[in-house]
Amino acid sequence: MTQPAIFFEEVNERQGVFHRRAILLGGFAGLGITALGARLAYLQLLETQRYEKLATSNQFNFKLQPAPRGVIVDRNGAVLAANRPNFRLMVARDKGVDPEATIKTLANYVPLDETRQRRLLKDINSAPKRAPVSVMEDMSWEQFSAINVRAPELPGVTADMGEVRVYPHGGAFAHVIGYVAKVNKDDIDAITKAGRTPDPIMLHPGFRIGKQGVEKALDEALRGRPGARKVEVDANGREVRHDDAGDIPATPGAEIQLTLDVDIQNRALEVFGEESGGAVMMDCRTGDILCMTSAPSFDANRFVRGLTGGEYRALAGYERKPLLDKCLSGLYPPGSTFKTMTALAVLMAGIDPEARVTCGGGMNFGGRYFHCHKRGGHGSQNLNDAIKNSCDTYFYSMSLRVGPDRIAQAARAFGLGQTFDIGIPGQKKGIVPDPAWKKRYFKKNEAMQPWWPGENLSYAIGQGYLQVNCLQLAVMTARLANPDYKALNPRLIKSVGGKELPRGSDVPALPFPRDHIDRVRAGMAAVTDVGGTGYRASQLGLGDILMAGKTGTAQVRNYAAGGSRGKGGTWGLRDHGLFVAFAPIDAPRYAIAVIVQHGMGGSTAAAPRAREIMRTALLKDPEMMARVQKPLPMPEITPDIEQDTAPLTPTVLPPGAQAIPTVAPAPAPLPGRPT
Amino acid sequence: MTVSALTRPGERDRLVVKFSEVDWLFVLVLCLIAGAGALMLFSIAGSSWDPWAAQHVGRFTFCLVLMLALAMIDIRVWFALAYPIYGIGVLLLIAVEAVGDVRLGAQRWLSIGSFSFQPSEVMKLGIVLALARLYHGVSAERARLSWWLLIPALMIAVPVGLVAHQPDLGTAMLILLTGVAIVVMAGLSWKIIGAGVAAFLAIVPPFVLFVMHDYQRQRVLTFLDPESDPSGSGYHILQSMIALGSGGLLGKGYGLGSQSQLNFLPEKQTDFIFATLAEEFGFVGCISILILYAAAIFMALRTSYLSHSHFGRLAAAGVTATFTLYVLINGAMVMGLAPVVGVPMPMLSYGGTVMLTVMIGFGLVQSVRVHRYAEVTSGKGSFV
Repeated sequence: MTQPAIFFEEVNERQGVFHRRAILLGGFAGLGITALGARLAYLQLLETQRYEKLATSNQFNFKLQPAPRGVIVDRNGAVLAANRPNFRLMVARDKGVDPEATIKTLANYVPLDETRQRRLLKDINSAPKRAPVSVMEDMSWEQFSAINVRAPELPGVTADMGEVRVYPHGGAFAHVIGYVAKVNKDDIDAITKAGRTPDPIMLHPGFRIGKQGVEKALDEALRGRPGARKVEVDANGREVRHDDAGDIPATPGAEIQLTLDVDIQNRALEVFGEESGGAVMMDCRTGDILCMTSAPSFDANRFVRGLTGGEYRALAGYERKPLLDKCLSGLYPPGSTFKTMTALAVLMAGIDPEARVTCGGGMNFGGRYFHCHKRGGHGSQNLNDAIKNSCDTYFYSMSLRVGPDRIAQAARAFGLGQTFDIGIPGQKKGIVPDPAWKKRYFKKNEAMQPWWPGENLSYAIGQGYLQVNCLQLAVMTARLANPDYKALNPRLIKSVGGKELPRGSDVPALPFPRDHIDRVRAGMAAVTDVGGTGYRASQLGLGDILMAGKTGTAQVRNYAAGGSRGKGGTWGLRDHGLFVAFAPIDAPRYAIAVIVQHGMGGSTAAAPRAREIMRTALLKDPEMMARVQKPLPMPEITPDIEQDTAPLTPTVLPPGAQAIPTVAPAPAPLPGRPT
Repeated sequence: MTVSALTRPGERDRLVVKFSEVDWLFVLVLCLIAGAGALMLFSIAGSSWDPWAAQHVGRFTFCLVLMLALAMIDIRVWFALAYPIYGIGVLLLIAVEAVGDVRLGAQRWLSIGSFSFQPSEVMKLGIVLALARLYHGVSAERARLSWWLLIPALMIAVPVGLVAHQPDLGTAMLILLTGVAIVVMAGLSWKIIGAGVAAFLAIVPPFVLFVMHDYQRQRVLTFLDPESDPSGSGYHILQSMIALGSGGLLGKGYGLGSQSQLNFLPEKQTDFIFATLAEEFGFVGCISILILYAAAIFMALRTSYLSHSHFGRLAAAGVTATFTLYVLINGAMVMGLAPVVGVPMPMLSYGGTVMLTVMIGFGLVQSVRVHRYAEVTSGKGSFV
């Protein structure tokens, strides 16, 4: 460039141009900054509420918390299902979380074997993002705290305290109450199929759903309403702080009171021992079910924790079927216990109860010989004798005069062949056959449709197509024993959340003359009296409190003539032993039905068990105790010296109470009774 | 000192006098901005000097000393070094093309031993110096409308092309706009300005659609509709706007900004520090900072008015333009008015490179101020 290339005026011109153009830059900057200021005013002054809301929803999360599940108690308030704290460990898939490494790290603090680790990894990877997967339940405090302090270095890991269901009586209530378990896909599908949307709380890892019995039937009531924890989270969804004031408290689930009695129920399971079967006891006045036990049972707590495959196979594969509720779902021929119904049909037909039938050990009919259980025969029998001796021949003979319709009518009036609204699922209706039923049942097979007169014979003694469950037998007995001759209904759920459910006694009277029922009761009293089939096994040992009953031995198959009659051999082919009873005879209070599956004899297998359960109920009843302990006529006892020295002793014992300890053993604490 | 003293020959060459000639109000403004930055960095680290606030203060102190030192350098030395700095910048950009480190998918860094830097930063200053030097000896007529204008055009195009190729569109755009600002202020014809604006508007849509890298295009498209993808690329803008908006008039209080403290705000300590400030100090705090920036811009621009040399004017104005662009681009980005580009808020954001560049630039501006009466001839000390 040559110099001087620029002249004075040019320099001035350049300066002028620059000064003008620089204003342009200044203007541009001023405009820009003003625009930014305006934008700020818009965002921070006009739109601030909207963004505050967004910032809050960024900052705070409401985390659903399952409500404490409702407690289930027995009729006296003893806890049957409750909740206990549970330290659990969870891992969620998220940004920056390596599930495999996380699990490897966690294995240093809690026991996780290789298979468990692989399974967890699969679970975590298939779970939705950020949905925690339970790694371990019931950690010890040491494990819980060890992981909790390291949580900040372990992204995706949470260790918190939840609640877990606990059944303090283990197996005794397993069938009635059921159990809770994790929500699985089937549960969700069932809800979706019913046209409803699953509650979001169901996705919570701590949530448990009722799977059986009361837990399932009253799940909604037990569940309560979930609350929410207000937590401050960072951009990664990690919890930073917990805002107590912002929490929405959960509404705990409703307390459910059952009519069951914990002592009677526990005793019932106990008396079954290794045997299989069911026992149902009802209050004959109210219809409340005091005991409904199915044996063998299983520990519901195991189901809460989650069964291993082996445990489940062992339970499902055992021939005595612990998972089956034998009170509701098990159907059995009632055998001779049904003779009470046949007897009613006999009376209904207008037959004189004193009319006699001579038993010579059986009866020929239709070219076949129908045996009585007593080979030698009972001799001349009227209705009372026939019930007392359980004479088959009498009922064979009468059945031909009575006909199947009357028998069916009596059976149905007493609750057989139907289900009851006791609030839990699983009841099977069973079969109360009659010609109309048979026609319906064999709709496709005309040859089978006619009712053969020979069928009356087996019907009369509780065999044939007849099938009942244990609850039905208990209802039958309770109706027979009801002081007001009412068609009593069973009740299992006493109250839900403090609201009492209708009683089973608010029902009309049975459509039978009272003297007919009285005759059957008298027959049942004879069964347990000297010479009756249940005499030895029915002695309660409670003074003048006596039990009336009816034994039954139900065939499982047709015996070959002269065969073992089901008294031995393979377990699955033995006879069922049944016993129905009520006590006390003079003022019936408790009715019971016991079925011992393949227990062989009603009087040998079922009656003694019924007696033990009955004793437990009677001994727990203060009115009964008062009766047992009523003063015996005794000479006046002069006060001794000891009483003189302790005049303030407040002990108030009924006079003579100590005098009869042999008659009335005080209700000793029973095994399994909560203290 | 008195005016008469300063008119004495040689008086203005004395270091004490030079020092007093520095725009100390300007220095105060810079200190206030950097102080606000340190305050915010202290807050978002959870009331801790580590890891950002202490280093920020240290860096600024160093840069401030450097700026004052550079202000003492004679404007004629700057003049003489203009082309060499530009030349070195271009060479370094070529070197980066050949042997640069690839970081985050872009080739921007050059390592010399353990020291690594971005040559594009050198270019930000280099383009200002070189264009000011070029226009210093050119008549208004030529600068207005002539074939000669192809020279500055080329001088801008070469570094812009190289930086854009790295690819670092943000810096390329900054260099381009700085260059254009100088060319415009030097007196470019309105016809060319109008044609340029028209051409720019015409070329942007096809450029966005066909030339940009996917992530770049995504940023632009997201900007146009940030809520279309709130968890993806719209996340930055949305979270920043939430931080700003939720701050309200007075802010949530120091250390209480949930957006930044809980990491919802991305790059909270660098590009989005303004949003952090907005959240905790609200509209009042934001406007205060904007006023400080405006003051800094106008003081720097005023310096360019004071200069008696054309080189000084254009250099000071060029640096001011760069600074202004930083502030406006970052501000617009944080407020959801511009796509997300990696341009920090100078002095406020954590990060040494930009602070160093800007402060060296201000060193030049102060040098222009201190030496505003110096006579710069194209001959003296020129290498060309």
